[in-house]
Amino acid sequence: MTPKKVLLAPIDPVHDVGLKLISRGIREAGHETVLLQPDLEPEEIIQEILSHRVDVVLLSRTLGYGVAEILARFVDLADAVGVRGRVRLGIGGMAIRPELAAELGFDAGFGPGTTVEEALAFVEGREYLPGRGKESKEKQDLTRGYSYAYRNSRIAGLLSVITDGILDWAANKTSPGVLRAQVREDLWDVDRWRNYEKMSEFLAEYPGLCGEVPQNFYLKGVMHPKTRRFTREEVEALEQYVRDTVERMSLPGLRHTLQKPVVFNQYGTGCPFLDTGHIKVSEAWGADGVIHFDPSWGARTEGFMDGFLTHQEDGTVITPANLNRIKMSLEPGTLWQVRAHRGLNTPETVVLAGKFKADLTKINICYGALGAGTDPARLTVDGVAAIRYAAKYGIPFDVVTNEELCGVPAYKAFAGMLITADLSLRLGAKPALQPLFCYSPEVMLEGYMRDNYVDFNVAKVLALRRIIDAPVWPGAPIGFMTQTEDRVQSSAATSYHASLAAMLGVDAITIASSDEAYSGGPITVPSKVDTLRAVAEGFRFFGHTSIEPSAQARAWSGEIESGIEGVLRRVADRGDFVQALYEGILGNLEDGAYPGRNGRDTVLEK
Amino acid sequence: MSGILRRIMDGMDIETFLVCSSEDEGRRLILQFMKEIGFTDVDIVFIQFQGPGVRVRARAYVHRPGDTYGWLKAGRTGEDAL
Repeated sequence: MTPKKVLLAPIDPVHDVGLKLISRGIREAGHETVLLQPDLEPEEIIQEILSHRVDVVLLSRTLGYGVAEILARFVDLADAVGVRGRVRLGIGGMAIRPELAAELGFDAGFGPGTTVEEALAFVEGREYLPGRGKESKEKQDLTRGYSYAYRNSRIAGLLSVITDGILDWAANKTSPGVLRAQVREDLWDVDRWRNYEKMSEFLAEYPGLCGEVPQNFYLKGVMHPKTRRFTREEVEALEQYVRDTVERMSLPGLRHTLQKPVVFNQYGTGCPFLDTGHIKVSEAWGADGVIHFDPSWGARTEGFMDGFLTHQEDGTVITPANLNRIKMSLEPGTLWQVRAHRGLNTPETVVLAGKFKADLTKINICYGALGAGTDPARLTVDGVAAIRYAAKYGIPFDVVTNEELCGVPAYKAFAGMLITADLSLRLGAKPALQPLFCYSPEVMLEGYMRDNYVDFNVAKVLALRRIIDAPVWPGAPIGFMTQTEDRVQSSAATSYHASLAAMLGVDAITIASSDEAYSGGPITVPSKVDTLRAVAEGFRFFGHTSIEPSAQARAWSGEIESGIEGVLRRVADRGDFVQALYEGILGNLEDGAYPGRNGRDTVLEK
Repeated sequence: MSGILRRIMDGMDIETFLVCSSEDEGRRLILQFMKEIGFTDVDIVFIQFQGPGVRVRARAYVHRPGDTYGWLKAGRTGEDAL
């Protein structure tokens, strides 16, 4: 390309740093530049254009007052002296909108946020193709670099005893959920399913292990009343939408200079089409990962239906077809978590997650049994099986502690989390610890956040780190119970919690939308953009700034650690983990936890 | 529904400040306004009254989960909607 001669002039009383950056970029690309001083009259700039005999002129205007008049005068003068015909004119800056530039007769108008590459493309007379950046987004392994070595040997010893007991107890037990997972694992092949091959062996076994709703689906073709199948026309439209969107997507990073935390948000509108729309927007606004949020009735139903189904309430039904479509819509660098943590389909969900190559899942026996309504014995049997499948498929998972939201104190919830984590390590799986960053009932009652939201959350992370070298992934979502329906407040609260998480060097976070506290209708996609933008701003503001834990945070972390040890000792002394759950050692009625009843009396002897 | 409305992925929020004398009045006015401009599936996401009036964000759902989404075909081959 022939080098161009480019004149750059601020048509302003002050200099525009953007113009200087663009001037440098153009010069580095091999062109000659002439950068004029600020506060010149249009006539003076025209004179410089004539005397330097330039090919391209780039003006900038930062101030908004009188912008149309001064630029119109410039264009009139350029016309009058014949510059318009042979020089390409571009205008940019804070006061410029492309529509205004076109109206005034400029060849290009660059608004706020214009990149050097954009201006360079104009100078060189070529089309500007935004950097796609897809290749720069790679999946991170949240567990990499962690030894899972215990730093608190007393807690390690207690966990070892409890894990021995769980494995002994579960050794000769099974359940409909475990049997279904086995059938799914052995008789259902994802490639054959994708080729529309009928899997007769699977269909002969599976419905008999299901509850009424899936049974009716397989045997009578009856759908769940709140679901419907998509039409062929809708499916084709979705496929085209995804292709078109992927083609023009770029994937900006959210974390500025930080390597972590990886940022997840949830999808689960009920409809995989709308989920796909939400996922593409989340990816485009920087989310590193997305989490499949299924409906609550799905956790209480034995078995899965199949088909590409929409569901008109919150939570997207898990079916092979739904998971497959969603997986197909993801960018290659997007982490995908399929939650399996709380219901009657826990092991089978992990099998499906494995077959559809999900990156992560979610398992916690204690939360599922105390805060999510599943019978403790059933979820222990199913949880052990689920963890074995997670290990087999190499899928790490977070161990969530949402029983805190019921009112269970953090130290009890953490004891339960560590039991599931230790069991997982014994079975060869890779757990991530998920403390809540939340304004929990315990916090409200005890006044732990009377002054600030920082110290108690810091205390949780410090306590866990003193116990074990394991990944930490606060959730879910961070800032739970601190957000209101005000989207500014909600986004700010999420951003502050995300920034705190980054300062603590945690591995991942799950964030809410700014609709988190709104319960009047489905979450909308702009509310997801709100919090992704807010988190990005928080990361940009703080960068690698670190935080020094306060004396209060350290004191509370010590209390949490000793509280965990006390609970684990009681569980170990009880000698029966499942009975410990029923008896409330890991969270009782007074706390707000109760042993779940779904799946009660369904545990079978092998 | 207009072609542009069909491009709204799910909901549209209108956020403004209404001069009024109470939260109830602000609530009534914004809902009335949303209906006057043609929306039926409307709600108030957030409202806060102080002396001068309400800061309010109202929402109209254009596409709810399970609907047929106009944006799936919008913008392609000159079509604005399914």
